[in-house]
Amino acid sequence: MGLSLPRLVGARVARREDPRLLTGQGSYVDDHRPARMLYAAFLRSPHAHARIVRIDVSAALALPGVAAVLTGEDVARASKPVRAESKTPNVKTTSFPPLALGKVRHVGQAVVMVAAESRYVAEDAVEHIVVEYEPLAVVKDMEEALAPGSPVLHEEAGTNLLVSREFARGDVDGALTAAALVVRERFRFHRHTPVCMENRGCLAEYTTGSETLTLRSSAQCPGLVRDILTDLLDMPEHQIRVIANDVGGGFGAKASLYPEEIATCVMARRLGRPVKWIGDRREDLLATTHAWDEIVDAELGVNRDGTIVGLRAQVTADVGAYSIYPWTAAIEPVQTISFLPGPYRVPTYRGRTRGVATCKAPLGPYRGVGRPPAVFVIEGLMDRAARQLGIDPTEIRLRNFIRDEDFPYKSPSGIVWDRSSFTGSLVKAREVLDYKAARDEQARARAAGRWLGIGVASYVELTGIGSAIPVSPGMPVSTGTEAATIRFDPAGKVTAVFGVASHGQGLETTLAQIVADEVGVPIEDVRVLHGDTEVSPYGTGTYASRSLVLAGGAAILAGRAVREKMTLIAGHLLEAGPADLTLVDGRFAVRGMPDRSVTVRQVARAAYSGARQLPKGLEPGLEATKFYDPYYGTASNATHLALVEVDRATCEVKTLRYVVVEDCGRMVNPLIVDGQVHGGVAQGIGAALLEEIVYDDHGQLLSGTLMDYVVPSACEIPMMEVHHLETPSPVTLGGFRGMGEGGTIGAPAAIANAIADALAPLGIEVAELPVSPDRLFRLIGRAGGLG
Amino acid sequence: MKPPKFEYHAPKSLDEALEALGRYGGDAKVLAGGQSLMPLLNFRLARPAALVDLNRIASLAYIREQDGQIRFGAMTRQRTIEFSPVVAQRLPLLKEATRWVGHLPIRTRGTIGGSIAHADPSAEYPAVLAALEGEVVARGTKGERVIRAADLFQTYLTTNLAPDEILTEVRLPAMPAGAGYALEEFSRRHGDFAIVGIAAVVVREGQRCKLARLATAGAGPVPVRLRAAEEILEREGLGEVAIEAAARRATELVDPDADIHASADYRRHLAGVLTKRALTRAIGVARG
Amino acid sequence: MVTVRLKVNGVAHEGRCEPRKLLVDFIREDLGLTGTHVGCEHGICGACTIMFNGEAARSCIMLAVQADGAELATVEGLMRDGKLHPLQEAFREHHGLQCGFCTPGMLMTALDFLRTNPSPSDREIREGISAVLCRCTGYQGIVNAVRAAAPILASGR
Repeated sequence: MGLSLPRLVGARVARREDPRLLTGQGSYVDDHRPARMLYAAFLRSPHAHARIVRIDVSAALALPGVAAVLTGEDVARASKPVRAESKTPNVKTTSFPPLALGKVRHVGQAVVMVAAESRYVAEDAVEHIVVEYEPLAVVKDMEEALAPGSPVLHEEAGTNLLVSREFARGDVDGALTAAALVVRERFRFHRHTPVCMENRGCLAEYTTGSETLTLRSSAQCPGLVRDILTDLLDMPEHQIRVIANDVGGGFGAKASLYPEEIATCVMARRLGRPVKWIGDRREDLLATTHAWDEIVDAELGVNRDGTIVGLRAQVTADVGAYSIYPWTAAIEPVQTISFLPGPYRVPTYRGRTRGVATCKAPLGPYRGVGRPPAVFVIEGLMDRAARQLGIDPTEIRLRNFIRDEDFPYKSPSGIVWDRSSFTGSLVKAREVLDYKAARDEQARARAAGRWLGIGVASYVELTGIGSAIPVSPGMPVSTGTEAATIRFDPAGKVTAVFGVASHGQGLETTLAQIVADEVGVPIEDVRVLHGDTEVSPYGTGTYASRSLVLAGGAAILAGRAVREKMTLIAGHLLEAGPADLTLVDGRFAVRGMPDRSVTVRQVARAAYSGARQLPKGLEPGLEATKFYDPYYGTASNATHLALVEVDRATCEVKTLRYVVVEDCGRMVNPLIVDGQVHGGVAQGIGAALLEEIVYDDHGQLLSGTLMDYVVPSACEIPMMEVHHLETPSPVTLGGFRGMGEGGTIGAPAAIANAIADALAPLGIEVAELPVSPDRLFRLIGRAGGLG
Repeated sequence: MKPPKFEYHAPKSLDEALEALGRYGGDAKVLAGGQSLMPLLNFRLARPAALVDLNRIASLAYIREQDGQIRFGAMTRQRTIEFSPVVAQRLPLLKEATRWVGHLPIRTRGTIGGSIAHADPSAEYPAVLAALEGEVVARGTKGERVIRAADLFQTYLTTNLAPDEILTEVRLPAMPAGAGYALEEFSRRHGDFAIVGIAAVVVREGQRCKLARLATAGAGPVPVRLRAAEEILEREGLGEVAIEAAARRATELVDPDADIHASADYRRHLAGVLTKRALTRAIGVARG
Repeated sequence: MVTVRLKVNGVAHEGRCEPRKLLVDFIREDLGLTGTHVGCEHGICGACTIMFNGEAARSCIMLAVQADGAELATVEGLMRDGKLHPLQEAFREHHGLQCGFCTPGMLMTALDFLRTNPSPSDREIREGISAVLCRCTGYQGIVNAVRAAAPILASGR
């Protein structure tokens, strides 16, 4: 049957989400206030490592307005322990109790929960709780954690080394020994945290009688949370509903199962009243998962012409005090070595990784997961090699990119890259920047005593992952499938339901675009529901740059099924065979006879009106549910080019120009793609220059306010020039590749390389992020560059 | 992060405010703009038995010119100062400094009296008070007194105001016509407190420097007048050599702390860099 | 307990609360206007920004009792006759929001800023909106939206 060309996929459609969000009519967790609701607050550990000797809650319970107080023991009786089991060897499973049991392992860990008439009273009650601790020696960093004789955080593991993994290909030791040049560096990517503007929170309601639990949560993965809660709380799955309506940012911070969610469910069930916990910013910085905290010792061996002969690296990640569910402590350290070889032909490789427990908040996913540090490392090594060989940094990359004729290319960690535009993105980025002119400008600036630098970072990311590859190696949950239900009502309007959970990326709009195109209706006639396990078909949520690929693919399959049925009905109504019909602008017509037509609306009505309107034997109704599993996954890539200036006097870095050429395959909504790039790059610039989670030697968090953890404002971010290539994925339905994380993957490396390029005459390399002005001041001072 | 309980008073007059304050034997805090105190209350780092809210005392907000001084009622909003024609004309350094104080919504509520009484060493207004050699008026149970900038700031977040005293007025000598001025500040992010800031005033007579004033923000527990650096200019004039020498001297006069944002060495370095920039700009603007 | 009588978006309201109750909580809970958001409770992020007697102010570091007798404007009051305010329209057109959490604070801040500077340069727009932190947009869509809306607001349309 002939179909009109896509009208909406590829178009800059204004977002359906905007009207309610712009007018303050959003539906975030904290906006809900059911009758008899109680407010929760947590007493959090002031110690980084301590035994809990005694807890006395009597004074708290005596306060007017306090309904209940729960300790770790109370919750342990009502919920199974959270254990993120990994299928891969050398990943130790440890328990993460929702409220501390016996021991606290990081400052800010939740110890006691209070439910009261207001948050104000709940916080008062927390202050009336007496906890007696026996402080233990603090494991303050990775080196200490691995030192013999150091305290072990988790007795059941017997060691602080929770994760070990290796990927290898070929004889890298031999290759490096024989290499014309080996560049080596110890890279340090310090600890970061996502800082969503909406703090985490949840609202649990337990209805006795029907024994149903409804959890509203600021969560990226409602399906995943529902699945695990049924196990932890020993409740049937269909009695639990998890809802994530409007969520104020996620970036991975809200992708894990959190202690507070479990404790809130337990409290609500115990009291038979709704209980709401909204985290404050202090709690966010203390207890939301942190990110990217790694030391990487890496070596790159190259020929005289800069082509890579081998790459060898040891990654050590500070995974904090607990292994989070479902990703496990392995997610960050293993992803780093999986993706370290990048978009290059790397004939020999050995990447070893360790995940080490310390007395800090748990590490979890943050936009890019493992790749921001990995790209910082490999792109830093490429630049070092280029500098030492006297090759232009963009040229050395062009010599090493996986080429068209190499695809599909199996990377040393086993990931297969399908046709991508590595070379194309760099070539275009140079063009957009006018690379030659920028180098000329740099030369003039240098002559005038100014430190101008150009930094390049190219990367590839695995996106749209199907069931063959776990999003986090060995994780206990399968993430490779999403489903879509597309349902017409008799009036011809469409409801499309998904298991993904948008938290800023506009899935209500982009999925509507796909559905509208598939079933041939205007976008106004499509309503997208998502993020509610009660209505959604099976799904996990939104993370890992997968939603458009998986949910979009399912939408295409379900849309096709519905369209097929519509065609049968239309054919029946028009007394023509399906092959003789066209569907254009919401109207089925007989080919060559435009007057013989019926609207989609009429077809929908017919589907529900009774036997005479339908072909004999065709079941009434017009809906389909389809599942999509892309099986492997696909790839998204980009090249970032940054032009920076380092102020000679203050050592401040200003980003003057920022160019991105990215390829996410077939774009559904370029407006949204641009927005994702902008947001990711801004977080990446923040990560490179401003943001750092700092603990002192006693495990106390020093960066505990938004004055101390400095996320960029509009003045710290430049205007970005974003261009797109569209190489449709050869392996996904729709040709979508999935994107969203690229900004944080490429920007820290691009900025680091730009600074090193600016300071190259002083022989300064950038091996530590963030490059604060103070750090730069010390580097420049050591190199004798301060006037 | 909700405040702990406190008793609340919103007096309509200064006398009422002093009386309320006196009832708590030092355990009450004055609430002015709230831009510094409220965060402390929300973090429960401040736990006063009572708050005495000055925002209903209309008579405490004014800008007057008297005896060669511009006198500000303590509750004058930073936003009012930012857009005041009198300030633009007679105290252009204060106007420039105000643009560095946080962001416009903070200046909507923040007050000149509150900022100075709070005495955050990284704040801009205390540095300006020091640079312009201003003074404040304080009223307490024992009556009223005038405190010079040099005597006011004791250490971090501490002035010599007694617990029963309220800062009622800030007085700044009108800047001489044609005076050069500049505030140079370095911070991690636009609108943040200064890592280091330098306020500079220069009065020139041809190539001679008749008067130079330099005061710091962020380079120690209190704003520091860089008198020895000022003397270099007053002695040697306004040329590049003198500026360099003054900047170098500035680095020797400050004793900054370290925190997670900056080391002491880097702050010291910045003090020199910003002194040079502030003087260069101030001299460029100065007429005479 | 104290009584707070105020006008919000032109409508009179009255409530009773403890003196320590934050204005943002009063607006959200006592008045049921949940468009204004809580982001940090220490006056840095700007998500809680409202108009207080016509000027942008951070409601997380004000007490509800301080609003007694005041006129507030919140994001809910920007629409007129069911139509988006030109600034809201511009945000929509230029993708000036993603998760929407900072958006109400961003809108109120931008409005106040444009009143003080009706014809801003891009540099000035960035300085003006630097009062509100956004983690989603990288600010580009917001700057584009404010730039587009400025002449419309200035002309009083």
